[in-house]
Amino acid sequence: MSSSLDKILTNPRVWRGRDQAGRRAGLASGYPELDRHLPGGGWPRESLTEVLTEYYGIGELRLLMPALARLSTETSTQDFTEPGWIAWVAPPFQPYPPALQQCGIDLSRMLIVRPRDDSEILWSAEQALSSGTCAAVLLWPSILDDQAGRRLQLAAEKGHSWAIAFRPLAARRQPSAAALRLELHPDGQATRVHILKSRGGRPAVITQLL
Amino acid sequence: MKQRACKPPALARVAAPTSPVVQQNLPFVEQAAAVKTKQPVLHRQVADRLWFCVWLPQLPLEANRSSEAATAIVEEQHGIHRILLADAEASAAGVMPGQAANAALALLPTLQLEERSLLREQQALEGLASWLERFSSFVSIADHDVLVLEIAGSVRLFGGLQELRQKMSQGLRELALTAALAIAPTPLAATWMARAGRRVCIRDDRNLAAALRKLPLSCMDWPAGLCETLTGMGVTTVGDCLRLPREGFTRRFGTEYLLQLDRALGHLPDPRNSWRAPERFCVDYEMTEEQTDRELLLNICRELLLSHEQFLLARQLGTQRMCFSFFHFKGPATELRLGCARAERSAARWFELLGIRFEQLALPGPVIAVRLRSGMAQPLQAESGTLSFHDKPGVTARRFSITQLAERLIARIGDQSVQAASMVAEHRPDYAWRSHSLLADWSGTTLDTPEQSVQRPLWMLPEPTLLPADSGYPVHQGCRLRLIDGPERLETGWWDEDGISRDYYMAAGTDGRRLWIFRNRNRTSSWYLHGYFG
Repeated sequence: MSSSLDKILTNPRVWRGRDQAGRRAGLASGYPELDRHLPGGGWPRESLTEVLTEYYGIGELRLLMPALARLSTETSTQDFTEPGWIAWVAPPFQPYPPALQQCGIDLSRMLIVRPRDDSEILWSAEQALSSGTCAAVLLWPSILDDQAGRRLQLAAEKGHSWAIAFRPLAARRQPSAAALRLELHPDGQATRVHILKSRGGRPAVITQLL
Repeated sequence: MKQRACKPPALARVAAPTSPVVQQNLPFVEQAAAVKTKQPVLHRQVADRLWFCVWLPQLPLEANRSSEAATAIVEEQHGIHRILLADAEASAAGVMPGQAANAALALLPTLQLEERSLLREQQALEGLASWLERFSSFVSIADHDVLVLEIAGSVRLFGGLQELRQKMSQGLRELALTAALAIAPTPLAATWMARAGRRVCIRDDRNLAAALRKLPLSCMDWPAGLCETLTGMGVTTVGDCLRLPREGFTRRFGTEYLLQLDRALGHLPDPRNSWRAPERFCVDYEMTEEQTDRELLLNICRELLLSHEQFLLARQLGTQRMCFSFFHFKGPATELRLGCARAERSAARWFELLGIRFEQLALPGPVIAVRLRSGMAQPLQAESGTLSFHDKPGVTARRFSITQLAERLIARIGDQSVQAASMVAEHRPDYAWRSHSLLADWSGTTLDTPEQSVQRPLWMLPEPTLLPADSGYPVHQGCRLRLIDGPERLETGWWDEDGISRDYYMAAGTDGRRLWIFRNRNRTSSWYLHGYFG
C-alpha cells in the first residue's frame, strides 16, 4: 500500500504544492501564531497578499506593521543595498506618521500616492512594484479583477516586492491570483484571521490574534 | 578681451612686426592713431590669438528652403522681386542671381520661390553659434553670414588644429550648411580669407600681410561704389590697397576702410562681442502645415529634447522643469508641463516622462507649431553609482531609483498626488506631521520627536467628524462606543488661532473597530471622531 503510494509520489508528473512554497523563507509577521500557519514561516515575499475586511480600523494595519517596520529599516540580506521603500497607493484615510513611527517605520522611506481613478491605482501599484525600489506596496483598489491581480502578482515577482491589496469582504467569492488571502473579522476585543487561500499552505482560522 | 595700456604711436611703429616694405609705404599707426586716439595698440594680441572664420555663403538658401525641389530665394529690390540665390538645380536651368522672379519662372516653371526671411537666417546663425560654443569659449557673430571664433585656447584640447578643423567641417556637413573656413591671427583677416575662398591656415602673424595682399577686393565686402572706384584706379587686390598712401586713402574714402585694413593686419585691436546663447532654452518647431498625427508630434518633441540635451550638455547643466506648448491655428496653445525630481538633462529620460503625459493629453485641434521652454537651469548633479561587490546571479539590478519612480508617478497622476511625510515636533495631532512633495523638498529630514507613550491611531481623518450621542455616550455608525482608554488631555496652541483643548479617548465599538475620539474641554461638548486604530 505504502510502496504504491511512494511510487506515485516519486513520479515526476506529480506536483506537490508544499515543496514549491517551502523553498522560499517567508517574512516573519511578528505574530508567531500566524507564522506557524503560513508556509515558509511568514508572509510570502515577492507576491500578492490580499487582506479582506468589512471595514477599516479592525487591525488590518496592525497585522502588517511588524513586518513593514522590518522591511523599512533592515538592509536586505540579499543584495546588501539600502532598505526598500514602502508605498501606500490610494489609502482610504491619511496614514498617520506619528503612529507609524511608533510602530517602527522609517518615515523617510515612505511614499503616499493618491491616484484619481481605478486604472491609475493599478498602474501606480504596478509601477511601484516593478521598480525594484519598493519593499512593499499597499494598495486599496475599489475593484481588482482576476487579470489585474495577476498583473500585480507578476510585477511583485519582477521587482522583488511585496504587494498587499486591501479589499472588501464581498471579494471573497472572486477567484484571485494572490499567493495569500486573509479575511479579518472582529472577535470581541481581538481580531480573528481566516486564511482563505495560501499557496503551499492550508486554510486555517486563527482566533484572538491582535 | 585683453587690452594693454595705450602706447605712444612712435613706439608702436617701431614694434610693429610688419615687413619693412609695407612699413615704408604706409605709415599706418601714425595715421590711425590720429584718427582714433582712444584706440589702444595691441601687438601681442596678434601673436597669441587665432581666429577661425565660418562663412556661410548659402545661408539665405539653406535657412529659408522648405522643400527638396529646385529653389531660389527672392528679395524685393525697388519693388521688383529679384533672385538673390539659386540652388544648384535652378542654376543649371539658367536661374541667376539678380534676375527678376518672372524671368526665372519662365526659365524653370517648377522653380520654388522663397521669400528671404532675415529672421530665419538670424535664427540659423544663432543656432550655429551655440553649436560652435563647444569648440571655443569665444564665438562672435561678425556679420549676417559670418561667425568668428577664437581657437588658440582650444587647439590643444582638440588635439591639434587639423583635428579641430576636421571636427568642425564634419559637424557643419551634418548640419547641412555650406561653409568656407579659414584660420588667421586676426578676425578680419580670417573673414576675408574665408570670403575669398582660401582654405588657409595662417598661424604666424609674420605671414599674414603676404597672404592678405593677394586677396581680391571683393572679399572685403566693401560697398559696390567704392570697389568700382578702386578698380577704376587699377586697385584690384588688398595688396594694391595697402600700397596707397594713407593720407590720400583717408581723404578719399574715409577712415573706416583704413581702419579695417589696419585691423586685418593686426596693427590695431579688433575687439569683438562674444556671443552668448541665452541661458534658458526656448526653441520653436514650426511645421509647414497643421498636423494631427500624434506620432509625428512626439517625434518633433523628441527632436526638441535632443537639442535641449545638447544645450544643457554644453553648459554642464540640468533642469527640473520644462514646458511644451502646442500651438493651434485658432485658439490658445495647449501646454504640457513636465517635472523631474532632480536636475536632469538626458533626452531619453525626459522623453519617457513626456510619453506618459502625452498619452493623456487632449489636443483640441491640429497643431501648427511646437515650442519647448525649459525651466531654470541648475548645476547638474551626477548620480554616483555603487561598486557592486555582491553581484550574485539571480539578483537583478534595480530597474530605476525612487526618484525615477516618483517622476513617473507624478508625470501621470500629478504633482500633488505623490507625497512623502515627515514628523513635526508638535503636540496637536493635526500639526504633528507634514506631507511634502517629493520634487520640491527632496532632502526633507525627519525630526527626532520624543517617544510618545500614548498610542496614536494609524488612520487619521482629514477633519474630525461629529459623532451623534446617545445619553452622553458617543455613537458611531449605529454602535454605541465604549471608552477603553483615556483621557489624554491635549491643551496647547493658545498662541495661534488653532488652539485646542481636548480630551482624547480610545473607544471600541461593538463592531470591533477601535476609534480615536475626543471631546472639547471648554464646554459640555459633543464627541468627535479623529482616527481609527487600523
